[in-house]
Amino acid sequence: MNILTKRIIKFGIFALLLFSPELFAHGERALEPFIRMRTIQWYDIQWSKNTVDVNQEIVLSGRFHVAEDWPNAVVKPDSAFLNLAIPTPVLVRTATYINGAIVNNSMALKLGGDYDFKLVLKGRVPGRYHIHPMMNLRDIGVIVGPGMWIDVQGAAADFKNPVTTLAGETVDLETYGTANGIMWHLVWLAIAAIWLLWWIRRPLFIPRHKQTLAGDEDALITSLDRKVGGFGIIGTLMLITASFVQADQKYPESIPLQTGRTEIEPLPMKHDVVVKTKRATYRVVQRSLQLTMEVTNKSDKPVELGELNSATLRFFNPTLQRFDSNYPKELAVEKGLDVQPNSPIAPGTTTTLTINATDVAWHNQKLASITKDTDSNFGAMLFFYDNAGERYLASITAPVIPDFGTN
Amino acid sequence: MVSQPTTISRAAEIVRISRIFDFLLLVPILLVIIGTYHLSMILTVGDWDFWLDWKDRQWWPIVTPLMGITFPAAIQYGLWKHLRLPIGATVCTVCLLLGMAITRWFAYHLWTNYPINLVLPATLIPGALLLDFVLLTSRSFFVTAILGGMLFGAVFYPANWAIFAPFHQPVEYNSSLMTLADVSGYSYIRPGVPEYLRIIERGVLRTYDTYATPLSAFCAAVLAVPLYGLWSYIGKLFSTTRFIDKF
Ligand SMILES: [Cu+2]
Repeated sequence: MNILTKRIIKFGIFALLLFSPELFAHGERALEPFIRMRTIQWYDIQWSKNTVDVNQEIVLSGRFHVAEDWPNAVVKPDSAFLNLAIPTPVLVRTATYINGAIVNNSMALKLGGDYDFKLVLKGRVPGRYHIHPMMNLRDIGVIVGPGMWIDVQGAAADFKNPVTTLAGETVDLETYGTANGIMWHLVWLAIAAIWLLWWIRRPLFIPRHKQTLAGDEDALITSLDRKVGGFGIIGTLMLITASFVQADQKYPESIPLQTGRTEIEPLPMKHDVVVKTKRATYRVVQRSLQLTMEVTNKSDKPVELGELNSATLRFFNPTLQRFDSNYPKELAVEKGLDVQPNSPIAPGTTTTLTINATDVAWHNQKLASITKDTDSNFGAMLFFYDNAGERYLASITAPVIPDFGTN
Repeated sequence: MVSQPTTISRAAEIVRISRIFDFLLLVPILLVIIGTYHLSMILTVGDWDFWLDWKDRQWWPIVTPLMGITFPAAIQYGLWKHLRLPIGATVCTVCLLLGMAITRWFAYHLWTNYPINLVLPATLIPGALLLDFVLLTSRSFFVTAILGGMLFGAVFYPANWAIFAPFHQPVEYNSSLMTLADVSGYSYIRPGVPEYLRIIERGVLRTYDTYATPLSAFCAAVLAVPLYGLWSYIGKLFSTTRFIDKF
């Protein structure tokens, strides 16, 4: 292989990396741990199915909690857009619901709030894709939820995206207006081509330049040329006017692009289990987060800790048997949560719990580096359950002290 | 009697070689313009030109012609001054369209699955033709700056309306009012282009409501004049053999 071929291949790989939509879809571990742990905390993420036909609906639903302890290092979530980390529009979005209300635009999020969402999607391009819910946050970046594999089946050519205008016309957004747009581009391109050929048909560079240098440049323009120029001005202005008027008459009801912000109140949640963290250590060698905390049960039933969820990484307390087998394997640690004392907390009492969330996933998900951040506060959600199956959510935060295992 | 056919064939030879030279030079020049002009538009106009739902009535008609007049003004200067060719602006915008057509078709449509209508580029050719025609008839950079520059800025929106008007039809979508362009932008998911990035009707111009578009076209027309002057001066600086003479 010669040097040139090598360079072309290198450039090709670089270009691939640059444009690869895969980069979008797998940016889930890109942000620093403290941002992923203490901004948008995803939970209850669920797909209505994992195989969908072209044109068929599929629903992604779930919830997210907006951490109370939003990091000071990043701006507040005044512009947030619920989106998908998806390798190109292989599904199209037909509706977004947040707390039951339709949201087409961006919204402001309230710190400490919980939001329920539903994304209604439709199969478009067949294939197998890893897709995540995702929140675009202005001036911060994206906070990506758990990704799951979705199969789209059928033929891409069958896809239709019908939309009905207020005038009652139903159009297919896949192709609507394309032919008209290309036609107008070709009309102007043809006129430009005639104009260029008018000049390029004559000898170009050397003879013209020589004549210009000789001071005889005016002879290069004939009186016919000038007439063509004059007619050109009038003709171009007439065509612009005619095209504008016909479009204006054809679409008299046109409106400007629409935009705006939607205001959505957080879900009403009762926080009957109150958690105060006392001390948090991360044991580097064991890959284990140890927390000591004071738990006050203000509900009228005994509660138990079932799960710890930090940046979509979930640790389950095996005694409660609430493991979610549909959740991505790399993000679910079935027996990862050890709770001491592992017994129900009676109503109206306060107990000190010591818990250990242990797994190599801390490292694999690039969360272990929390102790090397400038802001080493970690964040997580705790899920408590009473004996009637009701869930109590507590969002916690604490500075993490690293334990390197040297003593 | 012997020398005559030789002279003729030699003259014909020179013409032929000069013509070959024309095309040998033309092709790389066009490729360079396609690459550089297109890149500069990507960097300055960017999303406004990529996406259907970014082509608003206020900023798009100002930003695009003002960033679009750069190369046409500079190349027009060089081609007119040194070759008396009134085609510089048209050449640039045709090259730009070719560059856009290639990227939109391959990178946006075939590779990343966006429908072509969502990534239809705008045309700058009508304004460029006017720039060239005005230069040819007036034979003056000053008149071209004033009259041509104003026309270039002013005709951008009306000339593109035939392409984009169909997408401005109102739709009741999920019980809110949207245009077909908004629905398309919402439908075809873009992970890297969240809704809040669209800059649609913010600031002082917003207050003038129904006059928003004519006012934007007027702003573009007025601002295009000094920008034409600036870029034609840059064209003057670069359309010289000074750099090559040193070798
Ligand atoms: Cu992924």
